[in-house]
Amino acid sequence: MLKLENLSRHFGGIRAVDQLNLEVHAGEILGLIGPNGSGKSTTVNLITGVYAPTAGSLIFKGANIAGDSANQRIERGIARTFQNIRLFNNLPVWKNIWAAQVVRESGWQGLKQRWFASASEARGKTLDLLAFGDLSHKADLLAGNLAFGEQRRLELIRAVASGADLLLLDEPAAGMNAEEIDDLNQRIRQLKNAGKTILLIEHHMELVMDVCDRIAVLNFGQKIAEGTPSEVQDDPHVQAAYLGDDSTEPA
Amino acid sequence: MDFYFGLAQVIGIHTLLGFSAWCVLQTGQVSMLQGGFFAIGAYSAGMLTTMWQWPILPALLVGGLLAGIVAVIVGFPALRVKGLMLVVATMAFAEVVRLGFFNLTWQVSSPDGMIGPDGSLGFGGIRYFPSNGWSTLEVCVFIWILVAVVFLVLGWLDRSRAGIIWRAVGEDELAAQSVGINLTTAKVSAFGVGGVIAGLAGGVFAHYATHIEHSNFNILLATFAIAYPIIGGLASLWGVLLAAAFVQGFLIEGLRFLGDWRSLLFGALIVVVMLVRPDGVLRRREPKAGARHA
Repeated sequence: MLKLENLSRHFGGIRAVDQLNLEVHAGEILGLIGPNGSGKSTTVNLITGVYAPTAGSLIFKGANIAGDSANQRIERGIARTFQNIRLFNNLPVWKNIWAAQVVRESGWQGLKQRWFASASEARGKTLDLLAFGDLSHKADLLAGNLAFGEQRRLELIRAVASGADLLLLDEPAAGMNAEEIDDLNQRIRQLKNAGKTILLIEHHMELVMDVCDRIAVLNFGQKIAEGTPSEVQDDPHVQAAYLGDDSTEPA
Repeated sequence: MDFYFGLAQVIGIHTLLGFSAWCVLQTGQVSMLQGGFFAIGAYSAGMLTTMWQWPILPALLVGGLLAGIVAVIVGFPALRVKGLMLVVATMAFAEVVRLGFFNLTWQVSSPDGMIGPDGSLGFGGIRYFPSNGWSTLEVCVFIWILVAVVFLVLGWLDRSRAGIIWRAVGEDELAAQSVGINLTTAKVSAFGVGGVIAGLAGGVFAHYATHIEHSNFNILLATFAIAYPIIGGLASLWGVLLAAAFVQGFLIEGLRFLGDWRSLLFGALIVVVMLVRPDGVLRRREPKAGARHA
């Protein structure tokens, strides 16, 4: 579904992402792990169009999207969440979702839907997502006033609201307690069952090993391993670079 | 009584000006250019009714439209700069507009002699209202009908998805872009709508004042424009209305005996509001958990 070919991004002399080749297959959950500063978030930012690549190409559903703007990529079906939560804090919860529901229709109908749809007709279309995020009872609260775990859930369903097939989740478990992570695990599985493809960037090893179909490991901007969770865990390069003795410590 | 009708006219004009800045501020852009759009509307509407004898309403609409077109054109380069740099850039452009009118001389002959903008001497004889026998009250009612129409249209926009798009961009550009909002259309549309409203307000002002000149459209006017939504808050249009009424009715007119010291009070008021209620005097009321509204 998504193919990164020799993708590089350099910041001055720093090679944040260097000659990265990676493929995300339709319908899978691919984990992207690596130590801090290994280039995971830069990869997400390259895929979503926050940064332009220094070199290489990005193929999504057969088309090179490296030249597309960020919002064109959403229209094609790539959505993301942020490592540090970025909601529209002064908008009610349900309007955060409304804002994210991408209108793909063109012409007059599209224009009307995109700009002039009224709140009363739009609200009905957010109910399912609110229910999925377990936020139905908080729909009218301002997003900024939600509890931390709820904000994480809202970010997740806001990404889903775009109608994207590929979801990039940038450390969705950061700051969560065990119970919340368990809950997130279930939600990610539900999304997979609903036909979504997921690229999961995460430090929490238990979650990654449990939920991912495959895992790719980055270090210094380069891929050092790729395979099933057990293959990656047994890989000596990975153990040296990343897991080491810290693997048993909670994130 | 005429004094109060006159004051109500000024408040109406400034409310419109505040609405125009409100649109642009929704997207997180601070524009010092609303006075410039106001000037474009003032000159063009004034020229249409005096030099070509247009009726008032089409003249105002064309003035607003012209200001809106300029706003859209300016909106594109303005996308490249943010924050303080945008303030400086829009301020510079506002000066360009003002100096443009300072140098504009275009007169045609009329039964009352030459009429039209006369460079630094300004543009006098915009006497549509008196020569058509409108009383101060009638002009006042006319202005407030315009305010009401703009209020309703903007209120409708704010409740439809456009309002959500503008507000989302104002809250967090990166997040807005990441949920598929086109920053260019969002910001330029806010500039455009704000430009039309400022142009409309300017056209009304020209006919209220009957004589306009470049110095009417200085930096103070631009400051007033953004002060209303800052003082009143971005949550609703009522805040803009209240702020315009308070500043023009009380601070400028009510305290006239203080002379130029009033400008100082005006500055102090903005600082106090920023300190005490950074979201403006009227804040969004937060609905109780479980409460529903569409």
